[in-house]
Amino acid sequence: MSKVKNVFISELKPLLDTIAGQMDVYVPRKVGEHYIFERYNPSAAADVALNNIRVCTPVKEFLFPLRELAAVFPEPLEPKDIKPFAIFGLKDCDVRSIEILDKVFMEKEFEDQFYIRRREKMFIVTSDCSNPAQSCFCNVMGGHPYAQSGFDLNISQISGGFMIEAGSQKGGDFIQKHSQLFTVAGQDQLAERQKNRERTQKQLEQNNADMKFDVPVNTIVENSQDSEVYDQQAATCVECQACTRVCPTCHCFYLYDSVQKDYFVKMKMWDSCMRLAYARVAGGENPRKVLGDRLRHRFMHKLSYFLDRYGIDMCVGCGRCVDAEAGDVDIRTVLKKLYEELQAKGKKKTEAVR
Amino acid sequence: MSQNLYQPVNGEIVDIIDESPTIKSFVVVPEENFRFATGQFVELTLPGEGEAPFTPSSSPAVTEKMEITIMKAGRVTALLHQCEKGQKVGIRGPYGRGYPVDDYVGKEIYIVGGGVGLAPIRSLFLTLVDRIGDFKKVVCRFGARTPADFIYKNTLFGSWQKIDGVNIKLTVDKSDGQWKENVGVVTTILSPNDVDIKNSVAVVCGPPIMMKFATLKLLEFGFPDERIYLSMEKNMSCGLGKCGHCMLGQYYVCKEGPVFTYDQIKRYPNIWA
Repeated sequence: MSKVKNVFISELKPLLDTIAGQMDVYVPRKVGEHYIFERYNPSAAADVALNNIRVCTPVKEFLFPLRELAAVFPEPLEPKDIKPFAIFGLKDCDVRSIEILDKVFMEKEFEDQFYIRRREKMFIVTSDCSNPAQSCFCNVMGGHPYAQSGFDLNISQISGGFMIEAGSQKGGDFIQKHSQLFTVAGQDQLAERQKNRERTQKQLEQNNADMKFDVPVNTIVENSQDSEVYDQQAATCVECQACTRVCPTCHCFYLYDSVQKDYFVKMKMWDSCMRLAYARVAGGENPRKVLGDRLRHRFMHKLSYFLDRYGIDMCVGCGRCVDAEAGDVDIRTVLKKLYEELQAKGKKKTEAVR
Repeated sequence: MSQNLYQPVNGEIVDIIDESPTIKSFVVVPEENFRFATGQFVELTLPGEGEAPFTPSSSPAVTEKMEITIMKAGRVTALLHQCEKGQKVGIRGPYGRGYPVDDYVGKEIYIVGGGVGLAPIRSLFLTLVDRIGDFKKVVCRFGARTPADFIYKNTLFGSWQKIDGVNIKLTVDKSDGQWKENVGVVTTILSPNDVDIKNSVAVVCGPPIMMKFATLKLLEFGFPDERIYLSMEKNMSCGLGKCGHCMLGQYYVCKEGPVFTYDQIKRYPNIWA
């Protein structure tokens, strides 16, 4: 088989076993109504079902773990190469979140080698969403229920099996090297995939019909510096910080020092801007003592400051924060309220979508 | 050089100077020569205990050692105050943007400082004095709570006052009975006649409340927003524009600061907190 972009396979196990022969593979497993990732075990798995939506945990944990070693004293810590690994069942929102994290951790002159070494060894296998959750709103944030770039291989379920698309050199090489697993995908199969995708996209748009904004999201947020919506919406926040933990784009962290047996370490751990002491300085001053101010900062950072800096929104519309939060603070409601307020103020801006 | 952004350079505290009841200066010798621009900051690690950001108070012209003046304010600074000579430390940096000294050439420089805010100012002052002929004059207005709370007493009350082209006035909130100069907050010794505002830049560094009222006073004098330079000390943690703790509006103070013009930050809420 020469270089073919789209191929067909009737079941997933041979594909997974082949990848697992080369590297560790993480696959989705359904727990209750959610999916989580777990290590694939070829001998235990009959077959792996595709996850119809994103896994409930963020993909960032594979690139930027919850807690990791950042420095050691007195002998310095140098980043080490790691073994390749594959993640199976990522979604468009996940690969878009990786694009966002890349901007931060691969920024020129500020390259985080711990991130980069993992990123380089990550084999990304995405799959199309088939049945978006009520909390999914990726279409509002410029996403789709299927990945268009940022993957090595993409899987789309169609009648009788799965279409596999190569999205990178690595993915293309894989298909070519293991061509015995696949048949070339036909036009009718491509058409079926297209039809499925359109159906899911339509479903998403229907689910989020109440989020049709006639201005870019950043315009809504940039006009909300003095809005009371943040205080009102934060009134029920219980500061569980789940919104920022499960967010695949939130990347704030905390450095702390501690003592090991006979050496010292500096650790790096996820942090949350919704935490009261987050911005507090040693003298005791705190620019964001009030919850509403912290919520405002979170929105400003995600939807205005980050866009200004990196040219991309820091929200992919995955809706994980909506599912996770304990205090009924819904990013969609906040946006809708801010939009209503902006319309009421008559400050609608007609500038072109950035 | 390490490929690890978070790995400090090892160093040692070789001397400790008592500056005031709550402030000490630590002379640190890094294992590698350490260059910084005045106003940039470093992250100082007390291994096993914690890390905190400080702007060195010494001249950037000295690269084999640096002085860091530290007020006992929180957990890490309290532990640093208990340290003795010989203590091993880690230093990361330098980070951020300091004072754009070259932009000050040919101008009058109006420096307003208070308390431990004199630490970054000392580094700037030493840098300016090294090339004093480049500037029209350097006018300093410094305050402290009491005379004992002034840091760098030996030079501040002595040799600095005698430098040609330098004019220094001091004030304390509360006299000790011996104090011969002004009593009152620092804004009480600011006058629009101190400098030629049309050809001046102002530099403000001190406790948040002092920075706020000094800035308001300078604006009242007619200083343009873009010529008031503020040293915005937030809780910079990573120093790399990633961890988010020091964000001031769209800025990472650790990367775009810590020195900002008032013009850059005035639109954000709670800048003085």
